[in-house]
Amino acid sequence: MLKMPGWEMPIVWYFFLGGIAGGAYFTAAIADNFGSRRDHTVARVGYLLSLPLVAVCGLLLIIDLGVPARFMNMMLHFKFWDPMSLGAWVVGVFGAFTFVSSVLSFSSSESIAALRRKISLVGMLFGFFLAAYTGVLLSNSTMPFWAESRLMGALFLASGGSTGMAAVALIMFLTGGSISEGWHKIEVADRFTMLIEMLVLALFLAWLGSAAQPITSGHFGPLFWGGLVGGGLILPLLLNLFGGRVRVLGAVSAVLVLVGGFILRYVVVMSIQG
Amino acid sequence: MARTLAMFTDTSLCIGCRACQVACKQWNELGLETPEWTGTYQNHAHFTDKTYRLVRFLEVPGAHPNGDLAWLLMSDVCKHCAQAGCLEACPTGAIYRTEYGTVNINQDVCNGCRYCVASCPFGVVSFNEQTGTAKKCTFCNDRIHNGLGPACAKACPTDSIQFGFRDELVAKATKRVETLKGMGFKDAQLYGADSNGFLGGLNAFFLLLAKPASYNLPTNPQRPQRNVVVDSLLSIGSAILVGVGALLAFRERGKGDA
Repeated sequence: MLKMPGWEMPIVWYFFLGGIAGGAYFTAAIADNFGSRRDHTVARVGYLLSLPLVAVCGLLLIIDLGVPARFMNMMLHFKFWDPMSLGAWVVGVFGAFTFVSSVLSFSSSESIAALRRKISLVGMLFGFFLAAYTGVLLSNSTMPFWAESRLMGALFLASGGSTGMAAVALIMFLTGGSISEGWHKIEVADRFTMLIEMLVLALFLAWLGSAAQPITSGHFGPLFWGGLVGGGLILPLLLNLFGGRVRVLGAVSAVLVLVGGFILRYVVVMSIQG
Repeated sequence: MARTLAMFTDTSLCIGCRACQVACKQWNELGLETPEWTGTYQNHAHFTDKTYRLVRFLEVPGAHPNGDLAWLLMSDVCKHCAQAGCLEACPTGAIYRTEYGTVNINQDVCNGCRYCVASCPFGVVSFNEQTGTAKKCTFCNDRIHNGLGPACAKACPTDSIQFGFRDELVAKATKRVETLKGMGFKDAQLYGADSNGFLGGLNAFFLLLAKPASYNLPTNPQRPQRNVVVDSLLSIGSAILVGVGALLAFRERGKGDA
């Protein structure tokens, strides 16, 4: 007797791109603050990627509204316990951080770099938030399956991290940045994140038990097991682990992670509304 | 806040005439819809953006006190929960509580994000494609502010829908349950009358002749927001794991090359 909200493809894309934006930014912030000078490419690619993505995210959210012209109504109101309200604010605030970090990433001045690192430590928190809150939003509803696992946010965060890192790695590969040491480090970081994501996904499914059926069986089952678990986690992890020095395998791994991240959002959002 | 108003729907008195459903539609100018075949006299199957009062016709095997099939009737409506999931979810403040305790959607503020639709434990709130906003029973907000009861309650010929002060209606309803139990309706019960019960009580509460599940009502509806802290903490845990993983990957051990 429950009613579905009718959140469809714009929201699937928003969840996917928001995860990448958040993941790319916090990875960049970590590389910038704790890595070496040579990891600067990772930081810059991460900042520069998150900026346009978060802009697209804002547009996707606006076009999905029933009355897009009233999107500002969310900015006239603030509820600290409400994922939808916080999320709307964070897209704006995080967008400002991605802009400032992107601009500052072009400076070669050491004092500007120090400022950029400090700013990114704060912006990183919003990046984590953007990657995770969409899961918490779904799990704080009355919808079957969405509301039944307490790990939806944790899963979306891990997926945001792995897809954000994969997107940065892929851009580095395509632009020739893969020769830097940063490429190897982001591969290692993505490997850790994929392992964490697999762990969280296993706990997520265990927690749900039979309530996971909308994604694990029926129409969406093959996509979930083949596209996410097999093709989007296990296969890219194996390529990442055993690809060795063959960089193109690393790039293939990154593409698979990105496709898997999209499939995760797609099956979760669409399965119960189909 | 003024004294809380309520609607009490006593399903034992409902004759399925749908005067409430029509009165609601007329007064609130809800417009035409394509009818839906449901296999019973019920139309529509669910609440819609143009159906705020809905008479349910339910044929439930074994729900009759003597074990036979029961033909249950229920005029269903927005419950105006004391702890309203839709109101808490609304990011624009369009959904608000009136001074009478009812829950209303300000149509000039709603921007159609639809989180309220996903947050209603009863499937009441509906999205209207034409206006792009969320719609539901207003408790006839215009009428109650002008000394009139809701249109549905006014139209009901059997007093199955009663309107009044909540405390008085609860007292009346409690007596009515006892009467019905004495008549052999062993499953007669109030749904949402207890303000210490689920969702802090419903300001549109019901008397049912069978278990809530027989009416497709949730037995123990919950606030959708009840897990936001746990879910957030687990997300933070995941963030720490992923962050530490990235930190280990990027960390410079020797600091020699900086």
